[in-house]
Amino acid sequence: MKNAAAILLGFFCLVTFTRADDTKYTEAMKNNLEQMKSMQTVQDMVDLTNSYLRIANAEKTKWLPYYYASYLTILTSLTDPDAAKKDTYLDEAVKTLAVADSLQPNESEIYVLKGFLFAGRLQIDPMNRYMQYLQPMNEAYEKAKVLDPKNPRPEYLVGMTTFYTPEQFGGGAKAAKSIFESSLKKFNEFIPKDELMPTWGKDQLEQFIKQNYPQ
Amino acid sequence: MKMNRCLFLAALMLPFLINAQTRISGKITDDKNSPLPGANIYIKDTYDGVTSKEDGSFSFRTNEKGEVILIASFVGYKKYESKLNLKKGEMKIDISLEEEITQMNAVVVSAGSFEASDEKKGVILKPLDVVTTGATADLYTSLNTLPGAQKVGETEGLFVRGGSASEAKTIIDEMIVQKPFSSSVPDLPSRGRFSPMMFKGTVFSTGGYSAQYGQALSSALILKTEDMPKQTITAINTMVFGFGGAHTQRWENTAFSFEGGYYNLNPYNNVFKQRVDWDRSPSSIDLSTNFRQKLSKNGLLKAFVSYNKSDLSLYLPDLDNIPNKTYYEMKPENIYSNVSYRDIVGDWNLFGGFSYSLDKDRINAAGNNISQDQRLVQTKFTANKKLNENIYLTFGAEVHNTLYDDTYNQLNIKLNEVYTAGFAEGDIYFSNDLAAKVGIRAEHSKVLNKFNIAPRISFAYRLGKYDQLNFAYGRFYQTPEKNFLIQYDKFDYENADHYIANYQYIGENRTFRAEIYYKQYHNLVKGTVYNYPYFNLPVVPFSSDGKGYAKGLDIFWRDSWTIRNCDYWISYSYLDTKREYSNYPTMAFPTFASPHTFSIVFKRWFESISSFVALTYVHASGRPYFNPNNPEFLGDHTDSYNNLSANISYVARWFGSYSVIFFSIDNIAGFANVYGYRYSSDGKISNPVLPATLRSAFLGVFISIGEENPYQ
Repeated sequence: MKNAAAILLGFFCLVTFTRADDTKYTEAMKNNLEQMKSMQTVQDMVDLTNSYLRIANAEKTKWLPYYYASYLTILTSLTDPDAAKKDTYLDEAVKTLAVADSLQPNESEIYVLKGFLFAGRLQIDPMNRYMQYLQPMNEAYEKAKVLDPKNPRPEYLVGMTTFYTPEQFGGGAKAAKSIFESSLKKFNEFIPKDELMPTWGKDQLEQFIKQNYPQ
Repeated sequence: MKMNRCLFLAALMLPFLINAQTRISGKITDDKNSPLPGANIYIKDTYDGVTSKEDGSFSFRTNEKGEVILIASFVGYKKYESKLNLKKGEMKIDISLEEEITQMNAVVVSAGSFEASDEKKGVILKPLDVVTTGATADLYTSLNTLPGAQKVGETEGLFVRGGSASEAKTIIDEMIVQKPFSSSVPDLPSRGRFSPMMFKGTVFSTGGYSAQYGQALSSALILKTEDMPKQTITAINTMVFGFGGAHTQRWENTAFSFEGGYYNLNPYNNVFKQRVDWDRSPSSIDLSTNFRQKLSKNGLLKAFVSYNKSDLSLYLPDLDNIPNKTYYEMKPENIYSNVSYRDIVGDWNLFGGFSYSLDKDRINAAGNNISQDQRLVQTKFTANKKLNENIYLTFGAEVHNTLYDDTYNQLNIKLNEVYTAGFAEGDIYFSNDLAAKVGIRAEHSKVLNKFNIAPRISFAYRLGKYDQLNFAYGRFYQTPEKNFLIQYDKFDYENADHYIANYQYIGENRTFRAEIYYKQYHNLVKGTVYNYPYFNLPVVPFSSDGKGYAKGLDIFWRDSWTIRNCDYWISYSYLDTKREYSNYPTMAFPTFASPHTFSIVFKRWFESISSFVALTYVHASGRPYFNPNNPEFLGDHTDSYNNLSANISYVARWFGSYSVIFFSIDNIAGFANVYGYRYSSDGKISNPVLPATLRSAFLGVFISIGEENPYQ
């Protein structure tokens, strides 16, 4: 009986501490997500990427820290004016995203980033790279849509690429409009599974539509 | 109750933990003491850490205590890990990170070579550049706009730095191509046999190439075919002189494609005034098939088979019996196949390949029936392994069996050559800024019954972020050509020593390269096989006593930044060369070399008309030609060569499919180029060697069906 009590005690302690750890994780993640809203410079992005990587390093089994680190690294590549570094950032993003993918296979959000990564590669030198990256980019977005048809982010990014593609290749503002509309509809209906799941894209898309499609 | 006790314990510990807080601060630098901003410094298995600031400084607090592991990581540097005994209060730690040597960061040895690739960084050309340069969409035409290549109009081939066409070899997927060009008739060049669209990577070496390749005294053109085609697609091509079609089917791990075309220049030759007296204009049937199978994660099986058959006949001027002409008929038939498998097994990168080619020429020259058959079977393997952080080792071997079977009327000559070679090469990285490639190649030829050993070494030293110096030395052997081998059995290998030094700057949008070289030829074959076109010269006995040299300067400049939306490149080559070989009675500047070659390529994408426009201008100073009336051998020179060509590709979408309309004109300005002169045997009559037409134009429509538009 006494033994049973000790085991029970131990078990409760474990639960409590685990819960405490989870709280710590949630708090740290929420704090980072909050900071992501105000980041502006490359240095801000690197800071936050490192912060996610530290969480990832401590947690080991959580995919979201790797996911956000990868997302931020792609953003850094798009933001950093030093063209020589752009591919290097993306090489890093590939590595972190691979870890996220192994921890959470068949996750729609991860496939969104896979496509986003190819878009980043493509943007560095579109003329010479479209042959290599266009197809895998679209395949990744398609897979993201299949895995979660309600996810608004694949269409948001497809819309952006379409917007900046010349009209004779099937792009342009007009072609992008219906894709943006569909994405926005999904954004408005989208309910993230929990408070740490990705929500990015909605504000950016609304802002983009306001600027480029004046009523 | 018990639960409370547990919480109570935790609560009891909390103030203790807060009290134990430590502040860790310091500075992080690289091994040259420059600050590293953006590095991640943290304690292993905790959330505690910080990113270093602009000046490399960092500072963070932790509640951990006792022995922990402090980690610092930064892209391109080795991870720093150190045990740390945390003490209450302030701790100061300065960290120095060691640069990580990786193939990605390290300087790339690039003496003597131009590379076109989508995958690698720091390359000078993109595969698209190869397709859109010049008027003919021919691989070799665009390579002729690079420094080191000589403009020779009357025959096909790559003439590199004073070398003859036979000194340049084309290599597809690691294996030598016996006949990269269609067979040609005297003074009329033919095109390359392989479409430039097939290749995803091109390395054009103008000297000092790797020990993995051999049998080319001057130059190696190393081509890699596409791995997996991206998608299922059908293509239809209609051109002014023919039509063709291709279909590619892509499955998850398998791809298959089939391509066919029929070309006939007769209608075209009737429209454009020909300087050639055609009997039957050139026509050909081309068929090819490609197969790809993924056998494991990294294992890829590739197979390529091509067949073509062509036909032409014409009347060549007979200067000894004007106005008589000589009938000449050529019917070549070629089969080329290449099967290879590449995989990663453990730490090993393995490659194995097999290639079979059969090239048959049926010639009727003034009623004489000539047949020339050449069959090549070759196999090659290479293995590559990272030995340690700084050394990558590659080794391999290859065997070629070539069977020559020539018939001149009733006279038949056969020659069976077995060529065996082995090589080993190390890529050594002393640091990210200093790398060397050290290789050795050993070869044996059955016909010559001799061995050779060829050392190759090259270095690259990075000066700054964008520029580097390269040096290369190498020895290159080549077995003499068949026409000599069937005449005499005591030849030795021809060989050449290359010494190359270059400076190169590859910036974001600008590239500059200057290269000097010296090439020393030994044991070039000597002997008179034919007296045409060098009539009344003394007959040179067969020997391996020929010699020669080539030295010069190659300059390349590419800029896609200064003029908006435009990209241009300029090449200049200075060449000084002399050789005594073949039937040359003395040392002479050869007929296939120009002292000065200059070219400029200009490209622009016009968004408004969705067209891509490219202009190419080539200037080459006059080349020597043989005049029997001049006592000085090859003492006469032609006027300089000039050519301005343009091409425009219009991209259109018809019924949801992409189409390209390609239009090009060669020699827009109508420069009267003369490649040389041919003389009658008494030297009294001469005839200029001219391009087949003054100007030429090409129009083609390329339609792709099934290229899915992902946005609709």
